[in-house]
Amino acid sequence: MYSNEVSKQEKKSLWRFGTKEVVYAAIGAALYAVVTWAFNVWQIPGAGNVGVRPAVVLPMFFGIAFGPIVGFITGFVGNILADLLSGYGFWVWWDLGNGIMGLIPGLFSVLITNYKSGGSILRAEISVVLGVLFGMGLAAVSEMWVSGADMNTVIFGNFLPAFLTNVLWGLVLLPLLMVAYSAIVSQSGR
Amino acid sequence: MTDSLPLPLVIRDLGFRYNSRTTPAIEDINLHLEPGQIVLLAGSSGCGKTTLMCCVNGLIPHTYQGYMQGEIELYGKSIKGMGLAEISKHVGTLLQDPERQILGTYVINEVCFGLESQGMPREEMIQKAEKALERLHITHLKDKETHYTSGGEKQKVALAGVLAMEPNILLLDEPLASLDPASAREALLAFRELADEGLSILLVEHRVEDVLEINPEKVIYMDNGRVVYQGDVKGLLETADYTRIKLPAQTVMRRAKGKPFEECCFAVPAFDPQSEPLVSFQDVCFRYKEDGPEVLHGINLDIRAGEVIAILGHNGSGKTTTVKQALGLLKPTSGQVLLEGVETRKTTVANVAKTIGYVFQSPSQMLFAPTVREELAFGPENLGMDKETVSQNVDWAIETVHLEHELPMPPLALSFGQQKRVSIASVLSMKSRILMMDEPTSGQDYWNYQSFMNTILQTPGFDAILFITHDLDLALTYANRVVVLYGGQVMADGSPYEVFADDEQLRQWRLLPTSLLKLNREMYAQTGQFLRAEALSQLAG
Amino acid sequence: MLVAWNYRYRNSLIDRIDPRARLIFSFAVLIAATSTWNSLLLAIIFMISILWYAAAKLSWKDTKRGWMMISILLFTMIVVNTIITGGGAGGVVPEGGQLVWPDGFNLFGRHLTFGLTVERLWFAVAQLMRILSISLVFIMIPYTMDSRAYGVTFRKLGLPDRLAYTMELSFRFIPTLARNFQVTLDAQRARGFELDSVKGGIFNKIKRIAPLIIPVTMNAIVSSEDIANAMDLRGFGQQKRTWLYELKYHWWDYAVIAFAVIMLGGVLFLAFGRGMRLFHVPQWWYGLFN
Repeated sequence: MYSNEVSKQEKKSLWRFGTKEVVYAAIGAALYAVVTWAFNVWQIPGAGNVGVRPAVVLPMFFGIAFGPIVGFITGFVGNILADLLSGYGFWVWWDLGNGIMGLIPGLFSVLITNYKSGGSILRAEISVVLGVLFGMGLAAVSEMWVSGADMNTVIFGNFLPAFLTNVLWGLVLLPLLMVAYSAIVSQSGR
Repeated sequence: MTDSLPLPLVIRDLGFRYNSRTTPAIEDINLHLEPGQIVLLAGSSGCGKTTLMCCVNGLIPHTYQGYMQGEIELYGKSIKGMGLAEISKHVGTLLQDPERQILGTYVINEVCFGLESQGMPREEMIQKAEKALERLHITHLKDKETHYTSGGEKQKVALAGVLAMEPNILLLDEPLASLDPASAREALLAFRELADEGLSILLVEHRVEDVLEINPEKVIYMDNGRVVYQGDVKGLLETADYTRIKLPAQTVMRRAKGKPFEECCFAVPAFDPQSEPLVSFQDVCFRYKEDGPEVLHGINLDIRAGEVIAILGHNGSGKTTTVKQALGLLKPTSGQVLLEGVETRKTTVANVAKTIGYVFQSPSQMLFAPTVREELAFGPENLGMDKETVSQNVDWAIETVHLEHELPMPPLALSFGQQKRVSIASVLSMKSRILMMDEPTSGQDYWNYQSFMNTILQTPGFDAILFITHDLDLALTYANRVVVLYGGQVMADGSPYEVFADDEQLRQWRLLPTSLLKLNREMYAQTGQFLRAEALSQLAG
Repeated sequence: MLVAWNYRYRNSLIDRIDPRARLIFSFAVLIAATSTWNSLLLAIIFMISILWYAAAKLSWKDTKRGWMMISILLFTMIVVNTIITGGGAGGVVPEGGQLVWPDGFNLFGRHLTFGLTVERLWFAVAQLMRILSISLVFIMIPYTMDSRAYGVTFRKLGLPDRLAYTMELSFRFIPTLARNFQVTLDAQRARGFELDSVKGGIFNKIKRIAPLIIPVTMNAIVSSEDIANAMDLRGFGQQKRTWLYELKYHWWDYAVIAFAVIMLGGVLFLAFGRGMRLFHVPQWWYGLFN
């Protein structure tokens, strides 16, 4: 009889994309699509592409919990799938914008030490604001390029409604998800 | 054993401790599998059977890390240093929940998944997949969407996905957990057939009684991370703890003789056939979509105070759909459901909740609050109760399920069994008059589900209790009225004795007679009611 | 909640074209349409898009929802932003120009002045052609592409195995998660939860989603572990993957790709090499308003 230690201590690497990450990303994207689709009834007409969508918190949360690639795919593929489900087509710049909303919190994931500590939640909330700023910013700017609208129209017609609703949903829901996730982490010893 | 050919699987002095734990999950495991053998591994949850499986299929150490001792050999070759891909050529694993194992949108895609991962050319892949489907007699499912297959079909599809990779050893992790009796039997027969073709099967299951029907060559009983018994079936029946795993009723009755046993008593009020029905189904028909098929065909059912009703039926017979009509979650396409005289069409689900408390099957699908206390307060607050009442109800509910110490804990951090109890407490706290439960025992081992049912039925405060199940023994021991659904119709309605009178009839409803039923029938002249095997042993002189 | 994909085999020309060629074509249209404001070029692209859309044999009944969404979009973009406020054209059409109603007009007995210019009106036409071209090409994708084809299509277009497979796996779990979402909604409603009866401000309204989104998300994460194990146990990611879904280029696929390349190249050449990039109003259009 002998004893051997089989612990390949895996470092929490930012850009790791193994089987687990494939699953988190796939599940995240599918969830984003389902939740968006389920809340489609809440769409406010006349706000451009902007709906009231609690689903926007998902790319942010998956980014915070599982890193930038998972966060990005959750938003990017998730938005594509949501549009496929609704039959809306394929709007690549809004898809990218949603991806960035998950990518940037994902970059912050290394700074998250304990999902329910005040400091970590604060850092996560900052990442939400930045993520939405860049994500929706990109989508709005490309709208300018595609439709030929001027800066004012794009800011007030496309960017601000999207920015404000997404930030609001993200800031309120993200801490709740983080606290819930911390319980799961402690339960499974992940 | 032959000395010429090495055995498919040999485990020597195996021990394992997870990194996050201080005590080993398994210790001193020694066992081997021969070609064509089915080895049944029984034990209650936490006995280490899942850990043992993970050691064999390579998830330990590739996914879960810790300290391992001892040796595992596949065909004489140590698995140390083998990658998951190499192990998977010998060992196929069927996980507990086929819903989480199935990765393909269509059946054929699912069956090909492992072959795609091996980089196999397309033609060869299709050939192997078709062969696997044929082996399990499910070729007709090939082009179906996996999501729309039944529970029993899902299991076979998942198994076909494993078989396509042509392993010699199969590990089956509680494969009967989600199946109704008829599907479980079909699955077991399929396992026997595979073993007879030469596969070695390690079958983890606590429904021991069912597995015995396919004559496993060897049985192993584990407790607390150690092998307590290893040998033939006869020996197991004498050694294994009959409160931990489900043994045949005759065995339990014989062994329980003279041992102390407390019969569960119902806390619901006495039944009065003249009383006004609490819930009344009147010719309820239902279809999900206007142009879709009808799934309920004229259900008539009255529920009165004092009744403990088991709704019994195979997967897809319409049990849950029926109960959802009472809650107003679904509204009948024609006919009506009256709740204390009020039609469900004219009220809201939130209103119904004051009368009916409904516990869903899986606790994780409803738990969300940061503390158990808030979780329990959610229902009563929604119903508009004042603070003091809410607080009283919460305290009462948590005491009922004996989890007082967990009130400040997050529910999601609790174990599965505790979560199940929190989920029921979160319904109890609404102090509804009727309690309804969907598959109350699912996901729990034999010991836990017995004690769970005992607790619930002894909880005072309910006028009536109703539970959905496909477990015949559960219905016959815990209900005073049984309703059998088949294909969206009520086929039988009465006392367990009346409903379970005819074996042939039961088989037609895809319910299989059990040893406990047979025993109860034999002793009915003496008992006048259906009882658990332990109770019967007290009566048998 | 029953998930119904919009894809159906319609035995159309599009069905016969390889998904890769279709995607390449679609992106060629997107780039071509967004690289010029020249109305002649836009008109040509628009015609091509209409033909492409027609080749898919989609019925109005199938695509109604999508077109409703796009109509709302177009209405805000063109009627509200470009015609009424003018901001929608501000990025391209300079201030000033010829007024459509230089003297104002009378409506319901009141005299109104309205700053709509002839230039902006023509820009609205160009904008309509551009957005519709893109919409026509991209709205048809969900209806014409088999859900099984996405993974392998993106793989063959150069995405790594794991990323491409992620897409495929997403499709698998959408119906499961939709069902779980319904179960959670039902479970909470049975506890008296009502989504629309919320007291308090906007924060409380948003928080009201927590009983739905938390169980659904956490449940999904917990099952991810089993799913990942199921994949590892069948050798996922250990080798280069093959795909059951077969993609095969035929000569006509090459023709479609060649056409897309030539169209895009032509538009780019004319736009950047021959000065047909910028917005400009044809003389006959002014004539209509004199």
